[in-house]
Amino acid sequence: MWMLSFVPDALLYTVVIGILFTGIALYIISFVTRFIPPLIPYSGIARILGTILTVVGIYFFGSYSTEIEWRARVAELEEQVKVSEAKSKEINIQIQKVYVDRVKVVKQTQIVIQEKIKEVEIKIDSECSKVAPEAVDILNEAAAGVKK
Amino acid sequence: MKKLLLVVIVLMMTGCAMFSPTPVKRNFPAVPSELMEACPDLKKTEPTEKLSEVLKVVVDNYGQYHECKIKVNTWVEWYNMQKNIFESVK
Repeated sequence: MWMLSFVPDALLYTVVIGILFTGIALYIISFVTRFIPPLIPYSGIARILGTILTVVGIYFFGSYSTEIEWRARVAELEEQVKVSEAKSKEINIQIQKVYVDRVKVVKQTQIVIQEKIKEVEIKIDSECSKVAPEAVDILNEAAAGVKK
Repeated sequence: MKKLLLVVIVLMMTGCAMFSPTPVKRNFPAVPSELMEACPDLKKTEPTEKLSEVLKVVVDNYGQYHECKIKVNTWVEWYNMQKNIFESVK
């Protein structure tokens, strides 16, 4: 049935309405033919055929209405998806820019602080004569983040 | 006549169920590559007696933490924004 989605709306509508009205017409004709003696033998066949076509036509008309409703919904969704994809691309570009800018600020701050250390390096080292190796070990242990 | 009407209604309703909806394929957007890089390990201090050397490594590590914090926060921002956009399609 999914193949029906490839059939154009107008063609599908024409076929469905065609089947339905052919059925109704045949049903009406079957009554008329009862009064025309040469056509009386065909009256029964016309009524059966008319009934079948009317029933099939009604069935297809129900299907057609649903199909059209779904097509409209799919088209609406596709449009929304297209808009959301464009928005999402825009957000990605914005986020990338924001991230790069923020990191840049951190790196610049780092450079400034490292420069400050260099400026007072001699003073720091002279006032604190010696760092105990244990202090370095503890610091490294903390940096590793894993308990030894 | 009532039976005929009933048959018509039933037929139209079963006709409604004849088609299955065409799925609209959607993918959650990909994360910017910058945010996919893992945070590096903290630097370790080389054996030294100079406080200034220790200080340099500590400052570097603080910097790394801030970069990593920015990455995580930006990730969360990105996810929330993309989630809102993704959920706006109904």
